[in-house]
Amino acid sequence: MSNATKITTDILCVGAGVASLSTALSLLRTLKAQGKPLPRVTIVEKGRSVGNHVLSGAVIDPEGFKGLLTEEEIAKMPIEARVSKESFHMLFNETAAMKIPWVPPMMQAHQFPVGSLTKLTQYLAQLCEKEGAEIYTSFAVTELIEDSKGRVIGARTGEKGLDHEGKPKSNYLPGEEIYAKAVVLGEGACGILTDRLIHSKGLHGCREQSYAVGIKEVIEVPADEARTGEIAHTFGYPSDWSTYGGGFIYHVSPTQVMICFAYALDYARPEKDPHLMFRQFKAHPAVAEHIKGGKSVAYGAKVIPEGGYYSVPEVVADGALIVGDGAGLVDTLRIKGVHIAMQAGVAAATTLAECWDKKDFSLAALRPYSDRLKATSGWKQLKRVKNVRAPFSTNLALGVMSAGCAWATFGMFPFWQVPMAPDHEEMLPLKGGKMPEPPQVAASPTSPDRLTDVFMSGTIHDEDQPCHLKIKDRAKCEECIKKFGAPCQRFCPAEVYRLEDGHIHVDFSNCLHCKTCQVKDPYQNIEWTFPQGGDGPRYTRM
Amino acid sequence: MHVIVCVKQVPDTTNVRINPETNTLMREGVESIMNPYDEYALEQALKLKDKHGARVSVISMGPPQADVVLREALARGADDGVLLTDRAFAGADTLATSYAIAQAIKRINPAPDIVFFGKQAIDGDTAQVGPGVSELLNCALVTYVQALEVEGDTFTVETHMDDGTDVIEGKLPVVMTVVKEASTPRFASLSGWMAAKKAEIPRWGAADVKAVKEMIGLDGSPTKVVKIFAPPVKTGGVRMDGRGDPAAAVEAIVRALQDKGVVKS
Repeated sequence: MSNATKITTDILCVGAGVASLSTALSLLRTLKAQGKPLPRVTIVEKGRSVGNHVLSGAVIDPEGFKGLLTEEEIAKMPIEARVSKESFHMLFNETAAMKIPWVPPMMQAHQFPVGSLTKLTQYLAQLCEKEGAEIYTSFAVTELIEDSKGRVIGARTGEKGLDHEGKPKSNYLPGEEIYAKAVVLGEGACGILTDRLIHSKGLHGCREQSYAVGIKEVIEVPADEARTGEIAHTFGYPSDWSTYGGGFIYHVSPTQVMICFAYALDYARPEKDPHLMFRQFKAHPAVAEHIKGGKSVAYGAKVIPEGGYYSVPEVVADGALIVGDGAGLVDTLRIKGVHIAMQAGVAAATTLAECWDKKDFSLAALRPYSDRLKATSGWKQLKRVKNVRAPFSTNLALGVMSAGCAWATFGMFPFWQVPMAPDHEEMLPLKGGKMPEPPQVAASPTSPDRLTDVFMSGTIHDEDQPCHLKIKDRAKCEECIKKFGAPCQRFCPAEVYRLEDGHIHVDFSNCLHCKTCQVKDPYQNIEWTFPQGGDGPRYTRM
Repeated sequence: MHVIVCVKQVPDTTNVRINPETNTLMREGVESIMNPYDEYALEQALKLKDKHGARVSVISMGPPQADVVLREALARGADDGVLLTDRAFAGADTLATSYAIAQAIKRINPAPDIVFFGKQAIDGDTAQVGPGVSELLNCALVTYVQALEVEGDTFTVETHMDDGTDVIEGKLPVVMTVVKEASTPRFASLSGWMAAKKAEIPRWGAADVKAVKEMIGLDGSPTKVVKIFAPPVKTGGVRMDGRGDPAAAVEAIVRALQDKGVVKS
């Protein structure tokens, strides 16, 4: 690709999510306040519009706004509700539940903003553009460019207009090269380029990243002013006792409820179906009363990095900084990462501002980002709960106890690093060699089937392009079908994988870019590659 | 050769919902896009640029934020754009819109070779503005164009009709409306977008195009919206679920169509 168009910028941010945008915003504002000349900041995003591939709860810890947004900007945020009432429920089975009489202190979120992260992201993007950052959507950055010494010096965008065999169509558009003084990787959870860089440069944390898949709907309900700002968290059913899982129910406006079920991907039984569990969860009486008379109107899914402190990689490489979910910056106990993404952005921006001022973007000059990140309140929280997640893989009760201990001792107990295996190694073979029939859940306006949900995600891919979900070795599929019963057909929340006539069919057009398959496939036989830029889900209110 | 493409910003209706109480579009979460048929029109113009070095100008009429569709056109390869934006244009029906656009075209170039439109906009679906402009420019019109060749001052087009294809030859200048079958629109490149973001896009008001007040906006619009209603939901029908046994479902559909005499047995 020597004849590719070459573009030069100063700072290139990959992905227009909260972490990238916070970096860009904070960098431009810092330098502007110092009266310095401003760098050219270019943000490239694979979604068709900003926010289309962003998904979160989201109850946002306002700690993240400090040093990033002004009071006026916080007041103008497109988030309607503040948390007014919180509750915590243990679900025992499909009907029984117990409301925990108090909300655990670490979970308290009184007056925290609660609403759509898609909208917040779009808002941040507007602020960035006002400061002069350039945002380009519908372009997937598919490769990092390194110089002969292994320094990241830029990135390449993906080609467009290839047919299903990979041959150029009449509207073929070659990839382009963007060169920058520094590249900020804000790809989000399970970022492809980020993970490639982590592996090639040996930036791993002490243990592999582990994930949960979060499945979410927006449900429109009959207006109820009084419930706005009410949030409820659940744990237990329909998760099994040895898998970390829980639900969130957020009344973000009088007529809108955001409902989400997260299920850890270190689960063991191949027949587990997170989408179906999401539906079982919604059918539980303690949950159903929140969405009574409602109708699901939007859907999405995304993996959440849950490995916490021990799984965070080295966030600085020569020429590149990793920010946000791509670095696994999520507080595992509260499942909150938006504020840490913002703090990481500010930490990265402070460092980049210095580099820009001194015209030195060397590895040594980029390194302070790592220390600055570790000085943030978000990081301290991450450290405090560093061992909370692992015991949950053994047993829920053990998990809850250790969470309490960790909290009470400021993270000192358990004082050893509790080990965890990579998610894909945790699957057990089928019992009796046969995939059990899934449990039946009645379809209803608040419990659409999986394909109806996929439709509501707005996901769309040009079907005449190479399949972006590459099965590396078909023989392994045969083995997997025998041993595990093809768990891909159950774990994918978008019904991408179908077992038909003994073969796996890949309906890639349904893909939500959630990356569950890449994480959980027991043979690591599915490679998630980039479809044409602009394709994928079109979340507008996730 | 100078060609002008008229583009409109429309709500993306692929996932649109109607408020059952007011019968109006629910705007929440609905993005604005370039009218898809205008993309086909733009592609025809850009092909003339590739082949004959035509200058491609784009015009849009709408609120200030509509300038993004002009930038998108520039990113794909158009040479210049102008946005018609003025409160005085608000409430225009197809007649007043045609007039305003015709006035703008006259200012850009009183004698353009071709003026392109999409066959219709996906929001109003009227297909009237292209023909309206041709009338006001006193210029020939061909609608539903699916293929175009230009040699010297002669054009040859194929038009997409219900009962087949018409081949029409004529002399420039001409106004055309373009259908989907024409060709796949090209993508905008990243470098194209970078240039387009920086491009100067003039904004013209009514005075800039010498539009007479009586002919624009609400005053110039004989069409009045009296009532908006959602058509009654069609009831009945049979749902054939093909997920279990697609072959049997296909057979059942064919049999049903045969029974109704739609297809021969």
